[in-house]
Amino acid sequence: MASTEPPAAVTPPSSKPNLLPLASPTIITPSAAASVAVAPTASSSSPATPSVATPRPIPSDAEVFHIPSYSCWFSLGDISECEIRCLPEFFDSRSPSRNPKAYKYIRDSIVKQFRRNPSSKITFTEVRKTLVADVISIRKVFDFLDAWGLINYSPAALNKPLKWEDKDSKSSQHAADSPAGPSLDSTPPVRETSKRLCGSCKSVCSIACFASDKYDITLCARCFVRGNYRVGLSSSDFKRVEISDEMKTDWTEKETLQLLEAVMHYGDDWKKVAQHVGGRSDKDCITHFIKLPMGEQFASSAEFGSSINKLNQMKDDNNISSSSSPSKRLCLSPLADASNPIMAQAAFLSALAGTGVAEAAAQAAVTAVSEMGQGEPKADIRSLHGVQGLQDASITSNGSDVLKSVEEAHSGVNPKPEEKKVNVEEVEEEIRRVAEVQMKQIQEKIVHFEEVDSQIEKEWKQMEQMRDILFYDQLNLLKHERAIRKSGQQAAEGVRTQGDYVS
Amino acid sequence: MKPLPSTSSKTPVKFRMPTSENLVPIRLDIEVGGQRFKDAFTWNISDPDSEVSVFAKRTQKDLKLPLAFATQIAQSIQTQQTEFRSYKGQEMLTGEKIVPIKLDLRVNRTLIKDQFLWDLNNFDSDPEEFSKTFCNDLGIEDPEVGPAVAFAIREQLYEIAIQSVATARESRNAKKGRRGEYSSISRSTGAALDLMKLFSNRYSGVRKRKEWDVFEPMVDMLSNEEVAALESMVERKPR
Repeated sequence: MASTEPPAAVTPPSSKPNLLPLASPTIITPSAAASVAVAPTASSSSPATPSVATPRPIPSDAEVFHIPSYSCWFSLGDISECEIRCLPEFFDSRSPSRNPKAYKYIRDSIVKQFRRNPSSKITFTEVRKTLVADVISIRKVFDFLDAWGLINYSPAALNKPLKWEDKDSKSSQHAADSPAGPSLDSTPPVRETSKRLCGSCKSVCSIACFASDKYDITLCARCFVRGNYRVGLSSSDFKRVEISDEMKTDWTEKETLQLLEAVMHYGDDWKKVAQHVGGRSDKDCITHFIKLPMGEQFASSAEFGSSINKLNQMKDDNNISSSSSPSKRLCLSPLADASNPIMAQAAFLSALAGTGVAEAAAQAAVTAVSEMGQGEPKADIRSLHGVQGLQDASITSNGSDVLKSVEEAHSGVNPKPEEKKVNVEEVEEEIRRVAEVQMKQIQEKIVHFEEVDSQIEKEWKQMEQMRDILFYDQLNLLKHERAIRKSGQQAAEGVRTQGDYVS
Repeated sequence: MKPLPSTSSKTPVKFRMPTSENLVPIRLDIEVGGQRFKDAFTWNISDPDSEVSVFAKRTQKDLKLPLAFATQIAQSIQTQQTEFRSYKGQEMLTGEKIVPIKLDLRVNRTLIKDQFLWDLNNFDSDPEEFSKTFCNDLGIEDPEVGPAVAFAIREQLYEIAIQSVATARESRNAKKGRRGEYSSISRSTGAALDLMKLFSNRYSGVRKRKEWDVFEPMVDMLSNEEVAALESMVERKPR
């Protein structure tokens, strides 16, 4: 009873037919009056002529109906395995009225009814009024046919200028329903923008989307999470792309230049930077600045160039972490005051990139250096300065280990590209140095505490002295008081005795 | 003539539609805000997938009716469903029931009048099949006639089934020992004919000639004016 299985894998429509769309249309042998031609899901100009070359010429007097390529198993004369699989209740003899004959009757009548007027969509109610069967069976068959595009499918709807339609493996219903055309016009592109349309749900991507460069597909975040992508793709093929700043406007060269100037002048004060750039909020400035390739800025300082380039490369790969890490920026603020602005920049970048990344980059650079052999004395001196400066700064910062590595990196780095291997000894040395720095930190703290301690003692002594003085004053006061009282009494007695003499 | 098995007349049977599939005829007649919606269809009550609200919503959307209809439709279907289910546990006596089914309906422009006999004992009967054959044989072009015919048959069978439940209850309450249960049934349900009386002609099972007209189907196509006239008559009646 079942017709031959098509070569492509067929899954029930409830889990979305994730088939790779066939490139060329297939023609089903004519049955009864009409022959059915299958058009690819890509746009076809008119129903009569498929755009891709046909393997066989269509008979001129036959009517042509379009069904999607994943429904090519369908034929009016037979019941295929796909139908048996999707609607098992008609084929398992559980209920007497649901048998293959009844199914065929319902299906054929629905399809014929639709084909009488293929340009308009047929509704379920229209169908059930004309079929002698219980409405639930009719509904099931109707839904099945609808999902597989055997009814209510018109290729004319595909002619809308959708960007990602040829990658869509879902039925064209979505293409017809969601007006992607108007949405393209309604969002006003101020400057040239790349509109991101999700390939499967045809909605405009707003916040973030996932792009696969391998297959050139874009999915919105929701579809990506749900797994609405084709068979053959995995989640690792997709890269997250932030849309919010792309969508709004792109940065012109002038704006970028202004931004860089402002950053040079104002450093970390993003409000002033935003003012200087004009027309951009401070957040926009920050995000754009992060995404700028830093290498060209520091082209003058050759010794920093390569390491920073490396940092940037790794940064670009881990775009996710960099674009959403304002907290990392904050913990760098003590460092930003470092006297050397370039050092501050390097520290800033390394913090953004993540400690692991920067450390790896620096270590790789260090190995390159060690392979090179002796560096020039000039570089050494400068590196020494750099080392000291950074050491001071590193004590106050969180990512001290990172900076240690960064400082190693520009102690006589030559632009040598190959640095893949990291020696175990190098790692040990690094760890040792890191430990040294930590110890120095602790020592400083101890010293500081001692000072504080001695100060407290001094104050304590002072307090004691003052207490003594106070006590002394009190004593004096008492003495005087007693003395005065005595003299007072004596004076009083003297007066009395004199008085006796008189009287 | 084969003697009928006596068990069929005595033992009560659990209530069900005397057809191969336990489908319920549902009739809708809803009036919301001046708009009247009439519909009739068969519903599969044993299917767990049958969602009343989904169906109602779909019908409302497809026919572009105002939203209030959806809830009303769903309610109506639900009440009829529960009514059907309330009969479910009860017994009905089938007896020897050959009942005449009458068709007298108008679907769009087609007028149908017919009468035939239906065997209630035959639980394999299928009104849908009958209806399809009917439409094919009589060359009815309007595809909406088929479901209407099937529905009409079902509705009548449903009525009779309900009646038989009532009689089963009665006979249980009545004294036992009443002779010939089936005769009492045939007395209370006036529609049932006695097989013996029916096949009074001992020689052949063919119907008498004068009865041919009664049992012949009549299909008539009406013109638009007649349809309009009939509709206005129907609408005037309830007012």
